[in-house]
Amino acid sequence: MAALHAWRAARVTPLGELLAPPRITAALLRLTVQVVLVASLWRGLYAHTGATAGLTRDQAVTYAVLAVLASRLRELDQYAGRDTVLQHMHFGTIIYWYLRPLPPQRYYALRAFGEQMYGLAWALTGYVVCLAAGVVDPPKSAAAAGVFALSMLLGQLVLYYVMLVIDQLCFWTLRNGAAMLILIFAQNLLSGVYAPLWFFPDWFITMSRFLPFQATLSVPLSIYVGRVPLSDAGAQLALQAVWVVALSLFTRFLWRRAARRVVAQGG
Amino acid sequence: MRVNAVRIVWRITRLNFRAQLEYRTEFLLMIAIGAIWQVSVIVFATVLLTRFAGMGGWDSSDVLLIPATRMMAHGLMVLFLGRMHGIGRYIQEGRVDIYLVRPMPVHRQAQLEYFPTNAIGDLTVATGLMIGALGRSHLDWTAGRSAYLIAALIGGMLLEAALFTAVASASLRFPSADYWSRWLEDLLGTFGSYPLNVLPRAVGGFLTYALPLAFVAYLPAAVLTGHGHDTGVPYWLAAASPLVGVLAYLGARLLWRWSLGHYTGVNG
Repeated sequence: MAALHAWRAARVTPLGELLAPPRITAALLRLTVQVVLVASLWRGLYAHTGATAGLTRDQAVTYAVLAVLASRLRELDQYAGRDTVLQHMHFGTIIYWYLRPLPPQRYYALRAFGEQMYGLAWALTGYVVCLAAGVVDPPKSAAAAGVFALSMLLGQLVLYYVMLVIDQLCFWTLRNGAAMLILIFAQNLLSGVYAPLWFFPDWFITMSRFLPFQATLSVPLSIYVGRVPLSDAGAQLALQAVWVVALSLFTRFLWRRAARRVVAQGG
Repeated sequence: MRVNAVRIVWRITRLNFRAQLEYRTEFLLMIAIGAIWQVSVIVFATVLLTRFAGMGGWDSSDVLLIPATRMMAHGLMVLFLGRMHGIGRYIQEGRVDIYLVRPMPVHRQAQLEYFPTNAIGDLTVATGLMIGALGRSHLDWTAGRSAYLIAALIGGMLLEAALFTAVASASLRFPSADYWSRWLEDLLGTFGSYPLNVLPRAVGGFLTYALPLAFVAYLPAAVLTGHGHDTGVPYWLAAASPLVGVLAYLGARLLWRWSLGHYTGVNG
């Protein structure tokens, strides 16, 4: 019975997507165009340059295309369904999260899990197509593939917690659209979605080491393309795990504090 | 617009601005987000220019003119016509139905929905980048060249507004089409800021004729910097970029008017 409830909570957002065909078409077209454009951009850039920042052309193209695919993992539009935490706080409907026989943190986790699984289906399909078309290189070895999968899983956990912290902010600030945008932006920039972090200046790479963002995407993708050798992967995985534990404790603490702050329609 | 209409627009805008000031921190953060978002373009461009030997045969001072033009046009678009970007939300919330019963054009009401604070940040960074690009430029900025740059900025603003207005028109019929406008913004930000001739010809063609973002900054900058003959686009067409923006915007407004005539609200 509990499993059935969990399944029902997890599928809410994906179901909303599947019921809006234009959104599916848009996602497909957007992903295809983005992959083609990103791949051509990096190929074009490398036309007159050999390896730079320790990345060859094929490594850079693979990294960039995988980053586009990975960004699908948390791409769902909850805003259309008035289902973001920001909107629930705004409309006062957040109170329902606290009236159900299901703790809000579990409900949130189930919903995010459903979204990430739906996104994973997109990303995996895209990956298989890109691999078949020769846009991305296969992993260097079976070991590299295994370590990458583990690192990606940890990365997704870190991403989940980062997004959760961004949502939890809404409990303290009623109007925080801008703060959320800044955080989402930082997540994109510092995780290497815009360009592999290896191309950035040294001070930028050093700064990223102290922040959780690069653990979400840059680390697993660098392992995949071989920019981080397997001998160094252990330390990177350990760092990712540390972020997972630290953020999980921090968000647990925030959930407890948030529960005391929920006031709906003036109390 | 008649004098009275201008007066009403001005009064509403002032009220909207004061409303934005109600949440001080949010107001400052909105300016910051505009700025930060544009700084990312600068970071990206810097990374590309420092790591790779030129781009598509352009030297770095010429390349800088593209993001500067594009960012300035974008900032002006956000300031004057930017509310078309999020209109899908108003449509989903049924606010268009309210607009329809008021004695003011729907398009104007949508534009007056709120004051775009983030445009202040956008335009601040854009101005800085433009000053930097013009300072590093080896070109002789005659009156003709300067006038063309200003025309290109206005044309770029109108072309970007035309693209968002077209998506907004589609949203009147299919509310979830709003999703496309976010993608459009991504595309404009990512691919509107450097020479498109680094891309394969087919892809460059797509970004010129199918989704005409080349006319926003790349083609006008090519004409200004003397690369106008090697863009793969007829020179007269590249030179007419500002005009393309004007025509596209007029076309988009006609499309908007037609779509509004076919709008059916939630109640049918």
